[in-house]
Order: sequence, then structure tokens, then C-alpha cells
Amino acid sequence: MQACRACGAGASLDAHFCPQCRTILPLVRRQTDYFTFFGLPRKLRIDAVDLEQRLRTLSRQFHPDYFYNAATAERRASLERSSYLNDAYRTLKSPVARVEYLLSLEGRAANGPEEASKQVPPALLEEVFALNEELDEVREMRASGAPAEEWRSRLERARQPIDAKREEHEQQLQELSARWDERGESDVLDALRDRVLERNYINNLLAGIERELSQ
Amino acid sequence: MAYSNKVIDHYENPRNVGSLSKEDPNVGTGLVGAPECGDVMKLQVKVNPATGVIDDAKFKTFGCGSAIASSSLATEWLKGKTVDEALAIKNTDIVSELSLPPVKIHCSVLAEDAIKAAISDYKKKQAATGKPAEKAAQPTA
Repeated sequence: MQACRACGAGASLDAHFCPQCRTILPLVRRQTDYFTFFGLPRKLRIDAVDLEQRLRTLSRQFHPDYFYNAATAERRASLERSSYLNDAYRTLKSPVARVEYLLSLEGRAANGPEEASKQVPPALLEEVFALNEELDEVREMRASGAPAEEWRSRLERARQPIDAKREEHEQQLQELSARWDERGESDVLDALRDRVLERNYINNLLAGIERELSQ
Repeated sequence: MAYSNKVIDHYENPRNVGSLSKEDPNVGTGLVGAPECGDVMKLQVKVNPATGVIDDAKFKTFGCGSAIASSSLATEWLKGKTVDEALAIKNTDIVSELSLPPVKIHCSVLAEDAIKAAISDYKKKQAATGKPAEKAAQPTA
């Protein structure tokens, strides 16, 4: 509970306005989180339309224009809530950012670099390494003036397993998200974290191929 | 962020790029990665079985300049060292030699991990191939 500075009434920590006098309450970041701020449970499957409606409603309520003549504290609260709202929306809107945010809330953010390499399955590292070498060879082919069809087809072949992996990855993320929402088990979070870490490799590889193809 | 001259030098003229035969029982291979940036680093050592000294070291790194420089420097340092001396190399040594900024410290950690992984792979191979010989030698030792 927090006390409204205007009328002294008690308000719950996730309230945006005083339930009694309707004064906007100051934002205390460490007492809230993006899910709570939106009035949502800490779950991973979020309906995009619903989220956008909540965004519109809240951003109207907090809009600094309405607080133009209000006391300094209220003007500040409106600005702070508006900016927090935008951060919260950006994070929760993206499925991956949402997972990363949930992991940090639950104290499961990817561990420090010291442990990082142990979190990637060796088989994936082998694959990533081999594909990087393949990309290197394609670059050399291009540099030595090989015909475009030749290196393009090689790049297309190289990307097939990564595309497949990405699809598999998306599916795993969805399944794990559903499991978290239903049961909230902490080992699901560990599995989610591993997927998030693997994702960087997959995205880097795909970005490397796209770069080659677009040049 | 500016790279130090030493990082640029290693990046532009990397030492010991390449690979050694994975099948060679005297070669240890370490493959490590940094998921947060997507870097991947392979480091190999070739140990002289008679002396326990690292005769040759090679690396190949796909990643940023600091990761390449860290692994390049590591291979330079590894040559001529014994296996135990190699294990004593700390990421902080690499950080100070290359003047790595705090955001790039994880690159040096990766290099240290790669050294440890390569040596541990070498030791594993030696244990596997050396078993019969060790057994035979035990009674006298």
C-alpha cells in the first residue's frame, strides 16, 4: 500500500490514481513491473489487440496535456507514467523482449559471461562454426570473381538448415511459453533462457547471409 | 569506443589463424561461444608428448575485433608454455595486455575458456590413448 499525498487515502501499489481523490500517483519503479503496470498477470502469451487497447486507455489517462495546470508532483507523475508506459509497451509487445524481461524479473537473466559459453549446447557451436566457415568461403569465392549464380546457390543452401532451426526455435519458444503460463514452473524458465541465448547465434548467422546476398 | 593499438594490430594481422588436425592425439581443441553477442571461438594446441610443451597453437574466431585479438594473443602466449603454465593464463592478463574496455572483458573470458577447453580436450585424449601404457607402467611406478 502507498498513501496518496493529496488526500492521505491508501492506494494499492499497482494503482495509477488515488482511489479516493483521483490524483495521479507518483511512479515508484522498484514497486512495479511492466506486467503489473498494464494490469496483466506475469504470463507470456499476451493478446496484441488487448495490449494495444490497454496502452491507449492508459496513455490517455496519463497524458501530460491533462496535467498542464496541475501541481509539480502530478505533472511529474504524468510524465513518468507516460514514459514508463511506452517502455513497458515496447517490451511486452515483442515476444522475445517479453521473455527476456520475464527472465530478468524472475532472476533468471542470462548469467554473466563467465558461464555463458557453458549455456550453449556444443552441437550448436559446432554448427555455428561450420556455417561461419562456409560464409567465409563464399566471401572468398566472391572476392576471386566467381560467377554470381555459383555463390548465390551456395548461400541459399547454407541458409536452409538455419531457417529450419529458426522455425524449430520459434515453435519451442511458443510451447515453453504456453507451459510457463499454465504451470509457472521454474525449470521452464531455464529452458526459455537457453532458447533466448541460442537465438543470438541463429540471428547472427542469418544476418550474415542476408548481408552477403544484398551486397 | 576506440580499440587500443594492440587490438587493432592483432585484428589486422592475426597470429596463428588456422586449424590443426582434430584427429591428432596430441592436439586439443576448444570450441566456445558467447551467446550474448553470438561470437564463436575455436582454439587448438599441439603438445609435444615427450616434453609436455605446447609446440603449436592455432585459432579461428568469428566475432568482434576484441574477440579476435584476445584469441590471437592467447595463441602467441601458448606457444612454448607447458600445459600447466597454459592453464595459469588468466583473462585479466589478456585484458591488461590489450587494454580492453569493460564492455569487452567477456571477449577475454572467452579466450580463457577456450584455452581451458583445449587443454582439457588434450588431457581427455591422452587419458584415452594412454590408458594401456599407464596401466603397464603402474607396477613399477
